[in-house]
Amino acid sequence: MATELVRMENINKFFGRVQALNNVNFTVYENEIVGLLGDNGAGKSTLIKILSGAVLQSSGKIYIRGQEVDIDNTTDAIKHGIETIYQDSALVTQLSIARNLFLGREPLKGPGFLQWMDQDKMNVEASRLMREVGITKNIPPTTPISALSGGERQAVAIARAMYFDSDLIILDEPTNNLGVEETHGVLRFVRNARDSGHSCIFIAHNIHHVFQVVDRIVVLRRGEVVADDIDPKQYTVQEVEEVITGMRVM
Amino acid sequence: MVANPSQADFDKPKRESVPIDSPSTLQKLIGRREFGPLVLLIVEIVAFSLLSTTFLSTGNLSNLLAFTPEMGMMALGMTMLITAGEFDLSVGSVFGLAPIIMWTLFNQEVMSLEAAFFVALGMSVLIGFFNGWFVTKLKIPSFLVTLGMMMVARGTALYITDGFPQRTWRADSALTEIIVGDFYIGEFRVYASLLWFILFAVVLGFLLTQSRFGNWIQAAGGNSSAAHARGVRVNRTKIMLFILTAVLAAYAGITSSIRVSAANPNSGTGYELEVIAMVVIGGTALMGGYGTIIGTIIGVFILRMMRNGIVMIGIPGLAYNIFIGAIILGMMALHSWLERRHHSGT
Ligand SMILES: Nc1ncnc2c1ncn2[C@@H]1O[C@H](COP(=O)(O)OP(=O)(O)O)[C@@H](O)[C@H]1O
Ligand SMILES: [Mg+2]
Repeated sequence: MATELVRMENINKFFGRVQALNNVNFTVYENEIVGLLGDNGAGKSTLIKILSGAVLQSSGKIYIRGQEVDIDNTTDAIKHGIETIYQDSALVTQLSIARNLFLGREPLKGPGFLQWMDQDKMNVEASRLMREVGITKNIPPTTPISALSGGERQAVAIARAMYFDSDLIILDEPTNNLGVEETHGVLRFVRNARDSGHSCIFIAHNIHHVFQVVDRIVVLRRGEVVADDIDPKQYTVQEVEEVITGMRVM
Repeated sequence: MVANPSQADFDKPKRESVPIDSPSTLQKLIGRREFGPLVLLIVEIVAFSLLSTTFLSTGNLSNLLAFTPEMGMMALGMTMLITAGEFDLSVGSVFGLAPIIMWTLFNQEVMSLEAAFFVALGMSVLIGFFNGWFVTKLKIPSFLVTLGMMMVARGTALYITDGFPQRTWRADSALTEIIVGDFYIGEFRVYASLLWFILFAVVLGFLLTQSRFGNWIQAAGGNSSAAHARGVRVNRTKIMLFILTAVLAAYAGITSSIRVSAANPNSGTGYELEVIAMVVIGGTALMGGYGTIIGTIIGVFILRMMRNGIVMIGIPGLAYNIFIGAIILGMMALHSWLERRHHSGT
């Protein structure tokens, strides 16, 4: 059995009187892509927001490699190696690809306190990372994010997570509003991230996208886990859809 | 377009976001945000020198370069602050208050001029810190905080002096020489303040474009929550810039008081808006995220030359604001048009 990376235990979340999550147990192992599926309002976003520090659980515990951790905000999550790729908000669109990749961890050179950014190194590393994540187009690392397409922006965010060794990369609906090629691009980035040793949680509206990329499927229904070990190679899209809508019980 | 053969069977992309052919040097120059302001500055110089025979005279240029560094220093600080997504309406008042503090302490023989100079700068550090603390910790918009500070600082200057200018004529010390002593290059009278302005511009330009602090300034102004999540100390960065802006305003005010031999409690009134105008005319984004020191220097000269030039060609000085307003509107329209053109296709 694979090693456990993140385990969420007995997670409950109430928004006022609405119970968004009901006693959820959810585990991600090292080096796997987990697809999180469920109808609108099933609680998928709430669950991963608890992991990424955007939402605090009402009760329940989170363990990383067996150690219990508190995740109170995004900074905590990043410190614990959990990086969430939002479609837009995690990048500074005015800054270049390279400056975004290294934001907050800029390599420096020069003497003592009179140090400046090592922009040559940043640009070289950024080019290499963009290739590694699977961008085949030749985009200069000095290009501002505002000039990139939605898929390319996600590539930058994924590349940053990979470079700074996030153990778990979370993508909530990353393929929304993307064209066909862009979607294939994002799926490729996710696969590359797994192949270089990272785990991913992948949420998508389009169940076909999920089937193309994940190793395991977890299904949420009305805030409860109704299946947590579906192998996409052994089930059809149709069968999983039935689990999501409650017509089939696993 | 698609280098990897396994990609070849994908649908054609709907859009191309980044042109792959690299633009020529000329295209790059034209694409810069400083290009529009630079053209305007050149047009202005050409127009005024054609319309007035004395515009390019040594006397007039010396004159122009005497006051320009004082506005320029304030504009440099404001550029950094606006890039970080904040601005400061109290700079004009601090410009007035700092020399009042310095000369009052000196004239009343409380302390030496040098000590009074540092007390005045120290007071501006406190003002900047206070502005920054209110904005970042209490989450009050910088418009309100610095509007309040503008009134407090101006009120203090008027209260201390009863509204009367302070004498500065006993002031031939090494300090005043260092700050704004003058010397001649041929017939050309140069004040030391011009050299200080150039030094500050080079240092701040380097800081903004080459340093980690500069990256943080742009990130704080561009997307402060994303920056914060990456470990950027957004609040600390902003507080430091409020302090920088206040210190430069104080220094500029002291410079001015020595040069004109008067510390007037009303001096600097209205400068805050002119300084902000200089910064945004030069291409710095008013909402933050992008700033240019070179653009600001161009913006400073555009407005200073306008003020000087319209007088030289015989237009009443009172009409100055009409031209300034028109330049601001024209430049903002240009920047917004360029921005939209730049983003079409993504
Ligand atoms: N901030 C919030 N305030 C109140 N209710 C919320 C909030 N966020 C989510 N919910 C509710 O929690 C439930 C789960 O939502 P969500 O996690 O966004 O579902 P999913 O991502 O699976 O579509 C829904 O009923 C939703 O209305
Ligand atoms: Mg959702």
